[in-house]
Amino acid sequence: MISYILNRIAWAVPMLFLVSVASFAVIQLPPGDFASAMVAEMRTQGDVVPEGTEERIRHEYGLDRPIYEQYVSWMGKIVLHGDFGTSLGFNQPVSNLIWDRLFLTVSISLASLILTWVIAIPIGVYAAARQYSFLDYFFTIFGFIGRGFPEFLSALILMWFAYSWFGMNVGGLFSPEMQNAPWSLAKVIDLANHLWIPLLVLASSGAAGLIRIVRANMLDELNKPYVETALSQGLTEWSVIWRYPVRVALNPFISTIGWALPALISGDVITSVVLNLPTTGPLLLKALQSQDMYLSGAFILILGAFTIIGTIVSDILLAISDPRIRYR
Amino acid sequence: MQNKLMKVAFLSTLLSMTSLSMAFAFNESPMLKALVDAGKLPPVDQRLPKKPAVIPVYGEIGTYGGTLRRAYSGIGDRMGSTKLVEERAIKLQQSLDGKVDLVNRFVESWSANADSTEFTFSLLDGMKWSDGQPVTTDDVKFWYEDIFLNSELSPAPPGFLFSGGKPFKLDVVDKRTFKVKFEQPYALFPYVLAVQSTGWPGLDKPSFIQPAHYLKKFLPKYTKPEELDAIVKAKGVANWRGLWDLKGPIQAWWLNPDLPVVTAYKVVTPPPASTIVFERNPYYWATDKAGNQLPYIDRIEGKLFQDHQALNLMVVQGQIDFQSRFLEARDYPLLKENEKAGNYTVHPWKSGENLAMFVNIESKDPVKAKLFNDVRFREALSVAIDREAINETVFSGLATPRSASPAKGSPYYDADFEKKWTGFDINRANALLDQLGLKKGADGFRTGPDGKRLSLVLETVEPNFPPEMAELVRQGWQQAGIEGLVRTVDENANLSHLKNSEFDVSMGYADRLLMPQADPTLLLGRESYANGYFEWFNSDGKSPSGVEPPADHPIRKLFAAWKGASSAKTIDEANKKMNELIGVMKDNVWMIGLVGESVTPFVVSNKIGNFPDVMTNEEALRNEGNAIPAQLYFKK
Repeated sequence: MISYILNRIAWAVPMLFLVSVASFAVIQLPPGDFASAMVAEMRTQGDVVPEGTEERIRHEYGLDRPIYEQYVSWMGKIVLHGDFGTSLGFNQPVSNLIWDRLFLTVSISLASLILTWVIAIPIGVYAAARQYSFLDYFFTIFGFIGRGFPEFLSALILMWFAYSWFGMNVGGLFSPEMQNAPWSLAKVIDLANHLWIPLLVLASSGAAGLIRIVRANMLDELNKPYVETALSQGLTEWSVIWRYPVRVALNPFISTIGWALPALISGDVITSVVLNLPTTGPLLLKALQSQDMYLSGAFILILGAFTIIGTIVSDILLAISDPRIRYR
Repeated sequence: MQNKLMKVAFLSTLLSMTSLSMAFAFNESPMLKALVDAGKLPPVDQRLPKKPAVIPVYGEIGTYGGTLRRAYSGIGDRMGSTKLVEERAIKLQQSLDGKVDLVNRFVESWSANADSTEFTFSLLDGMKWSDGQPVTTDDVKFWYEDIFLNSELSPAPPGFLFSGGKPFKLDVVDKRTFKVKFEQPYALFPYVLAVQSTGWPGLDKPSFIQPAHYLKKFLPKYTKPEELDAIVKAKGVANWRGLWDLKGPIQAWWLNPDLPVVTAYKVVTPPPASTIVFERNPYYWATDKAGNQLPYIDRIEGKLFQDHQALNLMVVQGQIDFQSRFLEARDYPLLKENEKAGNYTVHPWKSGENLAMFVNIESKDPVKAKLFNDVRFREALSVAIDREAINETVFSGLATPRSASPAKGSPYYDADFEKKWTGFDINRANALLDQLGLKKGADGFRTGPDGKRLSLVLETVEPNFPPEMAELVRQGWQQAGIEGLVRTVDENANLSHLKNSEFDVSMGYADRLLMPQADPTLLLGRESYANGYFEWFNSDGKSPSGVEPPADHPIRKLFAAWKGASSAKTIDEANKKMNELIGVMKDNVWMIGLVGESVTPFVVSNKIGNFPDVMTNEEALRNEGNAIPAQLYFKK
């Protein structure tokens, strides 16, 4: 078991290196660079841009050096000093920008993940156990609509209802007067008042898909002989279902926990943009649009690292739950 | 005109003197009064200049207090806040009847010599930076020597401060007075100063002055390398140069709460906070005519938004007190419907901008180059467009079909040019194209002289131009037998295409057409229809990216007219040459205008007083800044 874990971790190192190279290369792909993006932005801002500005910016930020040189100096700083560089767009250290937003992002995403499971698993199990019942059809329709409906649209609609029916202050996580206030009980309550819309939007779409998966997995398990055996022993239907087939049906979730981690950070970008959330998703989007290579590079690197760590975690969890993997 | 200008300058000085000689004691905001009483701030008459500038109010004398709530789109949105507060030696000011005049701001007076080679400015007597230090010609000298002439800070100093290829010379007369001397006559300089001020580096670019007592320590000339390194490190920038300019944590006013400013507000909570906060400058040097120190409103807040619809929702919820930036004509109905609920009024400001198409007259494709340079072809492209349909579809009918010509209110406005080729006339377009020998085939498309189907790539920019607009242009062209291929690109790519003349026809803004004498570069082809020719002209043929126009090319007449205007001795002469320049534009129409004078919705809370109902939303007038935020107030 230990050698298995060590083996997994050893593989992660070259993977991380590849991810860093790939992320740096991907950032360079779109036409232009930060200098040209900045000049274009200044123009739309109404600035009269003097000639030669683009070249000056490019030189100042060292964007005119060969790509491998830029990569080595970027990586060198991260590995040696934990310094992710300076965001070109914000003219601030990248770490200042990311970690501030990370706390809110992780809390929102975790909460919505838990909410997704709380909604989806019981419904999925019920729909399988009472296949073709009225409620099964009802949730099937809900599931398809939920999958088919873009999240940002449901976010917009919910925001409009919250505003026009309940007269709420929508958009953002805090009321205007709480925005810059220090943390206090009142601010936490304010946060809770605003949090339900993003949670509902994020969870409902995720739940819609999950219901389908749970239902399908359960249908596979319910007809197996061990269920019939358990039932014939005289156990009640629901205690059989919750004790045996549900546990097996949830197995695929364990192997996908790895994907949940990066999703926590990238969040649902468009939804967060629409909902005006101060999370990392919109920041990543903006960084990519303005070709702010160090900021977006740091993001992609962190996402990559989380994916790799997440995969290791789910590998280990699988090994614990499934002996066949452990001894291979 | 020159005389008239001087009279205006003189009159406004006189006005401020007379009105204030009658002034009793100056008044101040209760917020500052409290600080004075606590001994934390000198009394108001010691903070104000001896004769403060007087800013006219649009309605009545206001009352102090309140927080003006706005929205901002993030760290890139620096001009949204900056345009509200920017100060200049001289500024353009629009009056309620739409006329635009030059007015004095932080100078008591200015004058020009007879041939406009020498301009003398006199700073307000006793004017102070926001930290209480006096503003003197030392600050002017610092700006001139250590910033403007410092090639590290200003590697490409703005051409409009040069004449005869040389930067202007500064002559400091005394603590308040200085002279600006040019090699050649430069009658347009006051307008340039009002619109462009003294250029970069910097964000709000107050003309001529920079706070020497504060900024010196951020220059290697005055500070030991190790001290400067420590500052650079603390601010997290790459090198000392990174401290300066638009995004410089030292020099950009909205990033640095410690920077002494002369603006009505200074930043307290800088971006990228989710709400940025600005507070009144206790040393602001202007009053209303009753002697009340401005501004009336104590604070301005900007709340971060990310999505356009989220901003609209903030508005209808009444979370916004003063905003036109980022609100669009097509949102007008939504904003109007919710006026009552949000307790605001939507004021229909007029945009000074035109939406236009640039035709690439430097096209590298010889067939297209020949066509694009033929005035008949450009006319055909123009009259084949149904501008009314664009107006209805994209602008809720709130814009006006017009050519890319000077805006109403401009000294060079020409009603005939405004309407030129703007009617929808497919027969005329077909006749012109037939004349050019472009035969229509069985498929309805015309064939070029090279025997290939004539198809033009119409480039449009996401998200600046709605895709419906390009589609309507394409449909019109198709009726005339020209295939239009709509290509949507991002701003970055579009700019690079314009710069390298690698496009056929591109959507673009024809802006700065209210006061083109202050910045005519777009008219001259810069980053629009003829960037290479412009570069050639602008660098006297020296720039490697410049392209010399053919000897008989009409654009040479345009360049000659601007050369004449920019070195005119008097305003009258400059205006004559400017009219000539506009005439060449009118004869050639290299920029095909679509619609303009669109309504810009300006959302203003009903609690706010002194808001001018309808004005022009234009770059040269600083857009929202044209409402003079310092004189807005919250009604009690």
